[in-house]
Formats: sequence, C-alpha cells, structure tokens
Amino acid sequence: MPSSTSSSDSALALTRGHARKSTWDRYARQTAADRPGIAQPVPVRPVPAQPWGKILAGAALLLLLMLAGWEEYWRAYGVRPGINNTYGLWAIQRRRIDAGEGDATVLLGSSRLFFDVQLPVWEKLDGRRPIQLSFEGTSPLKATEDLAADAKFTGRLLIGIAPDLFFSGFEFRAGAIRYTRNESPSERIGQWLSMHLIEPYLAFDDTDYALQTVLARQSWPARPGLPEHIRVRKLSMNEADRNTHLWSKVETDPEYRALARRIWLQNFDPSPDDPSPEAALKTEKEQIERMAKAVVQLHARGVKVLFVRLPSNGPFLAFENRSYPRARSWNGLLAATGAPGLYFEDYPELEGYKLPEWSHVAPSQADRFTAVLYGIIRRDFWRLDAAAPGGEASPTH
Amino acid sequence: MVFNSLTFVVFFACVLALHSLPFSWTTKKINLAVASYLFYAAWNPPFVILLWVSTVVDWYAAQGLVKARRPAARHAWMLLSVSANLGMLGFFKYGQFLLDNFGSLMAALGVAYHPAHYDIVLPVGISFYTFATMSYTLDVYLRRAAPAQNLLDYALFVTFFPHLVAGPIMRPTELVPQFAEPRRANAQQLRFGLALMTLGLFNKIVLADSFLAGAAERIYDSDKLPGTLDAWAGTLAFSGQIFCDFAGYSTTAIGAALCLGFAMPDNFRFPYAAVGFSDFWRRWHITLSSWLRDYLYIPLGGNRHGARRTYAALMTTMLLGGLWHGANWTFVAWGGLHGVYLAIERALRARFPNYRPGPLMFVALGLLTYTLVNVTWVFFRAKTFGKAWLVLRGMFGQNAGARPILSTFNLVTVAVIIGGMLITHWLMRGRTLESMVARAPAVAVCLVWALMAFAIIAAQGAGNAFIYFQF
Repeated sequence: MPSSTSSSDSALALTRGHARKSTWDRYARQTAADRPGIAQPVPVRPVPAQPWGKILAGAALLLLLMLAGWEEYWRAYGVRPGINNTYGLWAIQRRRIDAGEGDATVLLGSSRLFFDVQLPVWEKLDGRRPIQLSFEGTSPLKATEDLAADAKFTGRLLIGIAPDLFFSGFEFRAGAIRYTRNESPSERIGQWLSMHLIEPYLAFDDTDYALQTVLARQSWPARPGLPEHIRVRKLSMNEADRNTHLWSKVETDPEYRALARRIWLQNFDPSPDDPSPEAALKTEKEQIERMAKAVVQLHARGVKVLFVRLPSNGPFLAFENRSYPRARSWNGLLAATGAPGLYFEDYPELEGYKLPEWSHVAPSQADRFTAVLYGIIRRDFWRLDAAAPGGEASPTH
Repeated sequence: MVFNSLTFVVFFACVLALHSLPFSWTTKKINLAVASYLFYAAWNPPFVILLWVSTVVDWYAAQGLVKARRPAARHAWMLLSVSANLGMLGFFKYGQFLLDNFGSLMAALGVAYHPAHYDIVLPVGISFYTFATMSYTLDVYLRRAAPAQNLLDYALFVTFFPHLVAGPIMRPTELVPQFAEPRRANAQQLRFGLALMTLGLFNKIVLADSFLAGAAERIYDSDKLPGTLDAWAGTLAFSGQIFCDFAGYSTTAIGAALCLGFAMPDNFRFPYAAVGFSDFWRRWHITLSSWLRDYLYIPLGGNRHGARRTYAALMTTMLLGGLWHGANWTFVAWGGLHGVYLAIERALRARFPNYRPGPLMFVALGLLTYTLVNVTWVFFRAKTFGKAWLVLRGMFGQNAGARPILSTFNLVTVAVIIGGMLITHWLMRGRTLESMVARAPAVAVCLVWALMAFAIIAAQGAGNAFIYFQF
C-alpha cells in the first residue's frame, strides 16, 4: 500500500528516491479515474519541496501589511468601524419578542424609521428601549405579517411608511424572516464572533467596501444600450442593537451628499422596467389589503398599531407625491386598516429638519427629532389611558 | 458549518489544537469523531441521527456480509445496506419530486390527484455520505476490501468532517487504513495544508461568489431576455463559478485533512482542458465519476457485453448521475446530454481508431469540448426548461429584441477570470499543483499566498453555502 502523509516527509523521500526525475514527474500521481473496478488505495499527498516556514512567515507579514494599508485607506476616507446590518443582527432583535419581550414597542419600517429614530432617546423618554426591526429599502409588510402571526407579540407597533417602498412592495432585504426561521447554530455563532471580534475593530469590514464592490464602481466604459445605474452607497452607521443613524459623511461631505442625491434622482424618472400604471395600482391595492388583514390580527390581540410617514423633501418628496398621492395611498391605507396614522406634514414640529439627501434626518438632529416624534406619539396616539379599538386613542389629526 | 465562515475558523483551530495534544490515538480519534458530529450538527442538530443510522446499518451489514456463508445471505445483507441508504436518500431528496411527478402522470391520465406538499428539509450532504457509506458495504460485498476493524474507525470514516458534506467521496480503503496508526501532520504538511485551504477559499469566496456568481444570477435568475453576448457571458460565468466553488471546496477539504495528517484524493484535474468527454469525466468530480463507474456502470455490464449494452449502461449511468445532483428533470437532461456526448465520442473512436489530432486540432477539440460542456451547464443552472431554452436561444442568437443585461464590469471580469482559468487548465493539464508549486520561486509562492489571503478578507464573503451542498 502506498505510503501516505503519515511518513515523516514524503516530499523529501520522493526527492531522494527519484533524484533523476523532473519536478513534473516527481509529483505526478494517479487518481481514481485511472484505477477502474478496484479498491482504491490510500491517497498519496506529497508536499512540494519549498521552505514553507519562511514562506508562511513572509505571507503572514505581507498580509498584515496589506490589511493595515487597506484599513488605513478607508479610515482616511472617513469610514469608522461599526456593526454590519446583517440578517443575523436582525434575527437577534426578532428573537427578543420570543424571549420575553413580546410586550415591547417594535419599530418596523424602511430606512427612515431605521435611521431617524434613535433608540437611546426613545428609551430615556419611554423607560424601555424599543426593538428596531426596520430594514432599509424594504417594505415592512412581510415583517408585519410575521408579527401578526406571532401570538407572543402583544406590544405596540410603529410602522414606517415610505410610499415608494410600501405601496410598490419593493424589498431590497427580503430574506430576513426566512433567515431567522432557518438560522443554523453555525450562523448564530458566526454572527456573534463577527460582531464581537471583527466588526468593532475594522472599518473596511462593510459591504460597501468589499473588493468586488469597490472594483465594480470604478469608471468602467458604459455599455451601449445599458442605462448607467449607480448602486446605493453606504448611508448609515449601525450599533449592536440596530440603533442606526444616517452616516455623518452624508451630512458633512458635500461631494458625498451630492452623490447620494444623484443616486436617488436615478429613480425619479420613468424607466422601461417600470410597471404599467394599472399594474402599479393593482400592487398598491394588494399591499393595502394584506396590511389590513395583518392589522386585524394584531388588533385582535390588543396590539397598538400606528402608521407613521416620516419627513422627506426636495425632489424625493415631489416624486413620492407624484407617484403615491397622499389622498389615494396614505388615506387609503388608514381607511382600509382602521389604524391611526401620523403624517409629518400635519405636524409643524416635525418639519424644518435637515435632510441632507432629501430622505433622512441628519445625524446631528436625529436625537432632537426622536424626542419630538416620541412626544407627539405619546400625546396624540399612545396615551396611557388609551382605550380605542386596537388600544389606540383616536388621532387628533 | 461551511468552510468559509468565522465559525469554522474557530472550530478548526480548536480541532488542530486538540489533535496536537498528547492524547492516546484512540482519544484523538474520538475527538475527531465528536468534532465531525459537531461540524454536521452546526447546520441542523437532529440530522446527526441520519448519520448514525447510516453508520450503524452499514457497519452491521458489512459484519453480516463477512459472517454469511450462503451467497443468498450475502446478497441479502448487501441489499439491506443499499435499500437503507437509498431509502433515506429517496425520502429526503426525491420524495416530493416523485410525488409531484406521480401527480402529473395521473393528471395526464385524467385522474385528479393532488399530492400534499411536505416541505421536507434536505439534510446537507446526504448524497455524499450516502455514497461513501454504500461504497463500504459494496466493497466488502465485492470482496475488494475487508471490513473495518472497529466501529470507531468506521464511524470516523463516515463522518470525518473534511469530506463529510461535499466530498471528495472517499472509499473506505482510502481512509479507514489511515486511522489504524497515529497520525499528526509535520510542520511542512501543516503549512502546505494551510496554503491549500487558502487556495480553496480564494476560489470559493473571491472567484466564485464575489466575481462570477453575480453575472450568472443576472442571466439565470431574472426575467430579462438575454442576447448572445449576455447569454454566453452568464453561462461562462457559471462554468467558472461551479468549478471554483466545487474545486475550491475539495481543495479546502484536502488542505484541512492534510493539516491533521490525513491524505485525501484528488477530485479535479484541470477539467476545462479536457479533450473529449471521457477525458472530461476523468478530470471533473473524479470521486463521483469513478464511484458511478465502479458501482453502477461496471455492474450494469460496462463495455463487456457488446455495443448496445455498453451504450445502455452509459446512458443509464449518466442519467442517474444527473439525477444524483438534484430532484429536477433539468439535472436529468444535463446527465443525458453528457451521456449522448460520451456515446457519440465512443462511436467516433470506434469509427476512426487510428485518428490522432495534430497540435492545432487538439486545442480545437479541447475548445469544442469546453463549448459543449457549457451547453450542458445551461440545464444544470436553469431552474426550468423554459429558462434553459431562453438562455440557449440567446446563446445561438435567436433572441431578437434582447437588451443588454450585464455591465461592462461583469463582462470584463468574466472574460479575465474565464480566460485565465482556461489558460491555467491548459498549462496544467498534464501536471499537478504540487509540481507547479515546487518549481515556482519561493518568493512568488509567498506573494501569491498573501495576495489570495488578502483578497479573501477584502472580499468579505457572506458565508454563502457551496453549490454542491444541495446535492
């Protein structure tokens, strides 16, 4: 039987035994393809004759230098370490409901509710930290249906409505619920290791700075017939419990802010891929009907539901008003669900905040914005003595 | 757990540390077995029971085979093992597929039958370890191998984590003897093993997941009509993705085993430099193709009973080989196409026995082989025949009105990586990785190793499962 890797050093043995053979021949070997119909022998796996100790040390040193350079490059660009907004991170927050916090306040929306509301401020005012389950670029409908089907959830639900996402059913991060249900022990451990040992220390560990993403956004020649489309760049900074705010670079760096605006503008002009007006209207109705069913389930358990439309301005607001006029979409949602709604334009105290790229509150003002928003909700919707259907007080607006 | 995860890094460091401690060899083997069960349980703990069932059934079947005096009894023990293994595989992997097809057949006959949807979760790697355990009883039955000396060695053969979920599909004669005596990697083996793991993970995380998967997904997972350039680029991207994904897994597995002092067989031998399809199958997923040859094609008669029987055995083997990859008729079509290619090649070799291609024709035949292999990948990658026809029509210029789908960046990366891969395979077609590494300057090896490791970290792989896990 051929010796295997248990020999002291098969490469050296081969070298001595076959000194006259060329290097190519010395490492030639058969595979199972060359030995039909017989018991396959123990494989031979020689080690190429090289100074592997020096090679390993040199490679490790080079790797460290390259990583240090890469980290320094991104820090110079303004990036700081943060926690990645992964499905695993979302799953940790979602499981809090199953682990005894079913009566908590849950924030469920798209990026506006995600970036604009600051959990520490809310906690200071409310006494309890809410559970943040919003996802950027994603309609909250499926997650609402998921909560509606979960008997353990009996708390309060703030649902953020970004018209272009909710009424179109768009889901940039569609897999969180499925991931949470199927998350393996290995994935849970990996999430823990990453958010404790890697992410707090390395700025470059962010999907926006992954090698292929960086290469893809270089100025490649445009392909004739293919419209240029810039993908959304890094917009936020996340913490371990998904407390999130708009990245300060969007507020402080005019060039980056202009880029963020240019990216939004791409979506505001009609595109050949857009659905027909009839199809879009049909989708909008379906989204509202599904939400209405979910709200019925939630109300039946005594969950307080409040829809909230957070501020946008400039071309973004114009696009939203044009595509999903309030009278049709927002009012239709409230009418179908019977739940109250908070629309930023109805509250002067929610206007006038700095929205650097027309869609999210500047990080420097997010704390103040959260306090004002909380005050309105507490005053007009979630009063302690609330006793309206579903537990809400009637909205004053 | 997957190799390309932080969990595996920690797990592997613990296993290496445990294996280097001065325990007895039996204790070290128990450590490896427990670690392997943990490795598997990290996906879905209850499925470890399947591993135990498979292990115990085949262990006792082989014991029964050895003790049996009468041929009928031997036959019965062999059938018990095969039935138990294929039964498990059939239930978990093909149960819903069979029910759905039965429903379709009934509908065609005018009978309204709607099978229930059971939502059966496929245990990771069941096709791989089922074939590994079956080879044990079949080798004993065919008197090619003696049964393992103790249950621990046999259980470790089945569960040894480097090969457990995606191969290489080990034979008992390749691995069980390695458990007979204490093994621990020397410093050179450990370092080269780590280098192999880096190479494997580079293939998987950087080339397959980061640079090729996106182009393939945009063509195969969208509703857009692909033109000629896009359809070819998407398919070529997939040809590179599946090679880098699977060969990457095999290389990582071989490296991990080597770090522990064990040898695993080659699973790929630069397959895209194959000239002809018999050559391709001697280079692609070698441990599966040789398994099918030894336990299916040869028992079906092989080439010993005339041309008709040979072609029938060939087609049966390739069709079942296709089905092994997944419970979908597109996989059967993929296997069937390869069967047809092999049959045509066989017929041509019989018709022109003395033909020897010149250097240019040799390369041309190699490129023809690669092109035809890409046609088969369309069926492998597409989820439905409708999608497969759409891409094939695009590849042959029949999708009028198609608009560009892939960006310049996608096209450039596919061209660079696939071009580089083809050149590498042709330069290496008669050589081994070890021979190339031995001839390279140490500085170059060091630089390439560091660059690959840097690219792995900078690409920030998302722990995507290897494509072959689903098989």
